[in-house]
Amino acid sequence: MTKQDIQPQFESAAASPQSALARTKDLIYKYGLLVVLAAMIAYFSYAQPFFGSFINAMFILQAASIVAVIGLGCTVSMTVGGFDLSVGSAMSLAVMASAGAMVIFDLSGPAAILIGLACGLAVGLFNTFLIVVARIPDLVATLATLFLVNGMTLLGVGGQSVAEGMSVDGVAATGRFSPVFKWLGSGSLLGIHASVVVAGLVFVFVFVLLNYTRWGRAFYAVGGNPIAAAAAGIRVARCRMAAYIISGCLAAIAGMMLAARSNRGDVNVGDAYLLHAVSAALVGFAVLGANRPNALGTLTGAVFVAALINGLTMFNFPYYAQTFVQGLLLVVALLMSYMLGPKKRG
Amino acid sequence: MKPDSRIGAGGDSPPAGSGTPLVELRQISKSFGATRALDDVSFEIKYDETLGFVGANGAGKSTLIKILSGIYRESSGEILVEGQAKAVSSPTDSRSIGIATVHQNIDDAVVFGMTVAENLLLDEIAATSSDLFMNQRSILKRARAVQEKLQLELPLTAPIEALSASGRQEVAIARALVGAPKLLILDEPTSTLSARETEKLFDAVRDLRRRGITVLYVSHRMSEIKMLCDRTVVLRNGKIVSEQEAPLDTRKIASAILGELVLSTKHKSRPGGEPIFSGRGLRARSDSAPADLELRLGEVVGLTGLVGAGKTEMLEQICGRRPVESGAMRLRGREYAPRDAAAAIAQGVVMVPEERSMQAIFPGESLWKHCTVGMLPFFSHFGFLDRRKETAFARDVIQDFRVVCAAAEVPIEDLSGGNQQKLLVGRWLKNSWALVILDEPFRGIDIGARAIISRALREFSEHAAVIVCSSDPEEVVEVADRVLVMVEGRLRYGGRADEITSEELSEIMSQTSAQDRQDAREVTLQ
Repeated sequence: MTKQDIQPQFESAAASPQSALARTKDLIYKYGLLVVLAAMIAYFSYAQPFFGSFINAMFILQAASIVAVIGLGCTVSMTVGGFDLSVGSAMSLAVMASAGAMVIFDLSGPAAILIGLACGLAVGLFNTFLIVVARIPDLVATLATLFLVNGMTLLGVGGQSVAEGMSVDGVAATGRFSPVFKWLGSGSLLGIHASVVVAGLVFVFVFVLLNYTRWGRAFYAVGGNPIAAAAAGIRVARCRMAAYIISGCLAAIAGMMLAARSNRGDVNVGDAYLLHAVSAALVGFAVLGANRPNALGTLTGAVFVAALINGLTMFNFPYYAQTFVQGLLLVVALLMSYMLGPKKRG
Repeated sequence: MKPDSRIGAGGDSPPAGSGTPLVELRQISKSFGATRALDDVSFEIKYDETLGFVGANGAGKSTLIKILSGIYRESSGEILVEGQAKAVSSPTDSRSIGIATVHQNIDDAVVFGMTVAENLLLDEIAATSSDLFMNQRSILKRARAVQEKLQLELPLTAPIEALSASGRQEVAIARALVGAPKLLILDEPTSTLSARETEKLFDAVRDLRRRGITVLYVSHRMSEIKMLCDRTVVLRNGKIVSEQEAPLDTRKIASAILGELVLSTKHKSRPGGEPIFSGRGLRARSDSAPADLELRLGEVVGLTGLVGAGKTEMLEQICGRRPVESGAMRLRGREYAPRDAAAAIAQGVVMVPEERSMQAIFPGESLWKHCTVGMLPFFSHFGFLDRRKETAFARDVIQDFRVVCAAAEVPIEDLSGGNQQKLLVGRWLKNSWALVILDEPFRGIDIGARAIISRALREFSEHAAVIVCSSDPEEVVEVADRVLVMVEGRLRYGGRADEITSEELSEIMSQTSAQDRQDAREVTLQ
């Protein structure tokens, strides 16, 4: 092997002619999911022309936007090798806190938004405390946070929903949802729905952060091998903290988008979104052969699910079968990234 | 596998002088693609001997062992056991013809979460022919029987993770002996042991020999081979280049291992210029004697000592990866007390850690990302990375260190160990740092890579202080201007590298380890 090592570099270490099978596998691994998505859209548009209209496209993106925002938060926590189960509860907390701030305490829209964001920050910091300071495994720690935060939200509003005119201690609350806040749910910018705009901005932020900044590189390094990351001078604890704070804050933004859309705050609305967000992030592993958490993949995953459900609904597919179809999608995506991807050697 | 078959019995070896060796390898060759890992290798393993099997990293030792233990199949050639040709196409085959192997990584041979007794009988538990129902009591009973036959004293009911590394190794060796092998292969058994544990292992190997068990002892440490073996076979570039009988001449073995390359790395010790780093009253561990350390511009300092002597602990304090035990450090005349590795790097102190796969490799990441990960601020403006600059840097490293790879974009797992190491060391030698610390930079790499890294380190030391740590005195003499020997946390010796040979260094280490053994005895007597 000595001879081989002394020879000049860039030689055919792995450049043996690939077999046709290997090449096909590689193509499926990279583009398979995108091809399936394109084929699905093409088929739905052909069979039901309204599916492909601009209005319906907006419906789909709007439906995808909230899942995408939380999913992007999950993605960030996954890049540092973590897993944030508490995003749903952070979302619920932000919903109730921001709605409550306006309806019960009669605060302005911007103040409510700040309070919502502060909730996300607080959840992120609490997770950081459990995971970085107390060294509790991520999954366990965020599960505990999930229950704790959900419980806190319930206690805070006495188990009831927050809506305009709700009764507080027997008296009808006078506060209203502020127009600034409502814009998040029903406004639009240049004909594009506000929640789509917000999700787009969040996507750009996460995409640039993860792919083009040294912090993003550091996040992936921490997720890949925390010991090696520390040895390379990356401050691992700080990266984990930043990731969980981003995750909490994005969940809070998603919560406020939901509250603004429905003009009310329902108890534990976030629970349902947790699994959708996680599955969007996991489906995203298969996009362009990334085989790891990535922003573009998560966005694709969220849009994929929204388009699928929108299309199936249009074809009167029973609503109770949606979960099954979504599960199928997740399994296929995971099989693609784990079976066709390069084998990680131990 | 009957537990009462001839465990550890040496009685049934054929009468001496019958002529047939226990194992005979005839013209074994093995190719991986275009690479010929083993080329026409023939040698014999005689009854009742401890045969040393040595060679540089990448010489083909592990390939041959994998063939004997049934993990690889030879491309051509023949294996004869007691005069009969045998096919060894699986680990089960290997065991059934009486070959037991204890691989380098002990923790691959034991199962955590199980007791010592269960680990001892693992092969039996896993065998399809064994009873479906087993309970702790029946396992313990059989383990006791095995233990009695092997004349061992193991804490059978203890969980395996409660044992030290050498304790786990003892279990792994005992487990190999349960099947009453004719040949026991020990693959670099000391690589993860401390000095004291190494001594215990040596006693165990001597004991095996006394019982008449044939051992193939694989190591790259001259001192061990000299101490334990009756005969050695030296492998270089996949060929047998030398066979020697005891009394062994380690110098002859070393030159056989290294070939001509050993001449090209000879050099004169340089005096060293202005001091870059000084440490006063540093301790490797909290109970070690304090030591002073000065590292100067223009010299490579080689720090050697047995595994577990405290070298890594000392170096990790200097590069901020471990809290400082005591004393004070100065870097370029200024007070220096790094809070973590990031702070040390910011002040110009970098370290190439010992365990490549655990401490330096990010699974699945590309070569260029590995090149820049420790110095991202150099490649970014306001936090945004300059990818073109990064890949250009990576190509420079690949070019200068002759890293054999398809492109800078391939994942690091595509590279051989030696090429990974060239890249991981080389990335630190392209910028100006104050102090570069390398912990076992030559572990697991072949001699070509070693020569390239050595040369680069000597060049780099013109502009920085360099300290290389290795438990192999040969490597230290080869690369260093000044040599330090650490024994049990104390700096025992310091002197010019060209005034001492690796044998003399080994001697310093082995003399003191004999003393330590004395200490150990005293401790156990109390």
